[in-house]
Amino acid sequence: MQTPSSVQTSPAPEPRRVSFSLKDFVIKFGLLVILAVMIVVFWRLEPAFGSARNMFSILQAVSVTALLALGVTVTLAIGGFDLSIGSTAAMSLMASSYVMVILDLGTLPAIAVCLFLGLAIGFANGMLIVKGRIPDLLATLGMMFLLLGLQLIPTGGRSIAKGMTLPSGGSAQGSFTETFLALGRYRVFDLIPLPVIVMIVAAILLWVFMERSRYGRVLYAIGGNEKATRLAGAPVERYKIAAYMISGGFASVGGMLLAARVGRGDVSSGSSLLLDSVAAALIGFAVLGAKKPNVFGTAIGALFVGTLLNGLTMLNAPYYAQDFVKGLVLVLALLFTFGFASSNHR
Amino acid sequence: MSTTRRHVLTALAGASLASALPFSAARAAGIAGAPGIFGKRQVKIALVRYLSTGDFFQFYLAGVTRQAAALGIDLHVLDSRQDAALQAEMLAQAMNMGVDGIILQHGLTETLKDPAARAVAEGFKVVAFDVNCENPKIPQIEQNDRELARLSLEQAIRDNGEAFKAGYVYVPGIAPLDRRDETWQAVKKKYPKIVEVARWGTMNNPIANSVADQTAAVLRANPDIKMIFAPFDEFAKGVKTAVDEAGLSKQIKIYSADISTPDISAMIEKDSAWSATTATNSAVVGEVCVRSLALLLAGIDPGREVVVPPTLITQAMLAEKGIKNMEELAAKIPQFSRAEVAMAPWIPEPKR
Repeated sequence: MQTPSSVQTSPAPEPRRVSFSLKDFVIKFGLLVILAVMIVVFWRLEPAFGSARNMFSILQAVSVTALLALGVTVTLAIGGFDLSIGSTAAMSLMASSYVMVILDLGTLPAIAVCLFLGLAIGFANGMLIVKGRIPDLLATLGMMFLLLGLQLIPTGGRSIAKGMTLPSGGSAQGSFTETFLALGRYRVFDLIPLPVIVMIVAAILLWVFMERSRYGRVLYAIGGNEKATRLAGAPVERYKIAAYMISGGFASVGGMLLAARVGRGDVSSGSSLLLDSVAAALIGFAVLGAKKPNVFGTAIGALFVGTLLNGLTMLNAPYYAQDFVKGLVLVLALLFTFGFASSNHR
Repeated sequence: MSTTRRHVLTALAGASLASALPFSAARAAGIAGAPGIFGKRQVKIALVRYLSTGDFFQFYLAGVTRQAAALGIDLHVLDSRQDAALQAEMLAQAMNMGVDGIILQHGLTETLKDPAARAVAEGFKVVAFDVNCENPKIPQIEQNDRELARLSLEQAIRDNGEAFKAGYVYVPGIAPLDRRDETWQAVKKKYPKIVEVARWGTMNNPIANSVADQTAAVLRANPDIKMIFAPFDEFAKGVKTAVDEAGLSKQIKIYSADISTPDISAMIEKDSAWSATTATNSAVVGEVCVRSLALLLAGIDPGREVVVPPTLITQAMLAEKGIKNMEELAAKIPQFSRAEVAMAPWIPEPKR
């Protein structure tokens, strides 16, 4: 008898049914169980791990990564990929520093310029893919390199700091405003960092958009079968461009929060963002057995990586051990998603 | 939580997570006769790093580790790998872990200033190496750059007399180089017959190569240069390459700052133009950081600035003692291997 895995209503208590539901359980909740076990183990080993302050430290540490990961989730949903998110965030970091420190224009122009740049980069990515017919990975890879160079051109390759000497000879007059710095540093009730709130609000809004609106359903439909979606009458090109603009917008917000945290247009900040956020989104595939990019999964994926790194750091694990464990988790999550899932459908 | 229970849990987690993780051995008892918390219990500190790749930083960590071990300190190393935001997060995490003291090693003032002030306000003891947190309660450990330049230049005067034509490699705007520059300006003022006929320098990567190209041009224009002051070892490497290529290694002498194993190799080559350098042993700096923090934790003020004195290293010294690498240098030149800074009778010196 051939029973599809998704059918859960069969009341007959056959032994086969039991093994099936165990597998379902592992696929659905495996990653969440591992996360819970991990938290308990870290907590027992290092009681300080479980303090409220440390929980918010973890959230703060993942907030920028999570924002980027949420953005890339949208591009994954349409069957694409955005490799330029890390450099978009870095671009936003440099741009906000440039507007405040060198041009001395203040907080709001800095935010506006960053958001505009993020959306413009996303639009450019979308146009390259839709009109230029370049495959997603290659178009955004090209954009990544382009941005890595572009962000350094205005300052001649140097970090932007208060009072720096400009290539033209003068010195920078402006500085980071207190308001802007507060975006990355202020704590509500002296406990909850502002970036954490930004991240949670962004995640909820994006979840509603992707899971509860018809726009989200069309985006997933494009990822499922682009041709069919087009035949059904959806403006696929516009949706694709919009997906990359969402990704670019989220990345630029992430870059702004990073700039506020660092307080300097630091050229080396943001270099690890791309890999960490892609990892979070991919781990998200395995959460609740979604087997596809999804907002809730991405948020959990980011939290998973953050918890792991925080706990391992507390236990004095060196960074290379942390990189190793991070890779291991990613491989396991992918196995949950693809390996177990495909054998289930056979 | 009792020590044994902790051990069991540690072992369990070690087996289940990754068996190779190095957990620090718990040492519950304090040091007999030591003041403050050192007499009562084991002290826990965190080293929060910004830079970690390269010889200098490896030796620094070795110094921190061995001095911490000598004091029975539970040391946690948090390495942000040149990610400023991550370093700030790691500082917060060290606070969450409930450490007694924190060493900040390099970083950006703009990023660390606020969280460091917060740590001090919450009662954590903090010391900083080569990063200014702009906080009077955070002692600054630093190598003395002016002294570094002075020792090299005095050697240059001993070797070449008080009147010669000199070349100078310098890039303004980099704090340690600016401090070294102050000494060079003072020396030129004191000895008016030392004439700087050419000045050049670049930070373009790879630095040594770029400086070599510049130096080649300078030497063609100024064949009468006798001495070149290159107070950063990457500069000196580049200058030496150009001097060798121009076949001038017997006419020109190079004086620099900093040292590494490749630098030693370059200095001890036959007829090397690289005459002398002055350096601080970063392992000793690491030890001094831990001792300064230990003093602070014991309620003793190590001072607003803790300066680690540098050592002059000449070609002759290296040849005489047969020194070929950093380990031999530390072993055979005593003043390079330890510094009488931030000492106390109850602080044991580490095994080196």
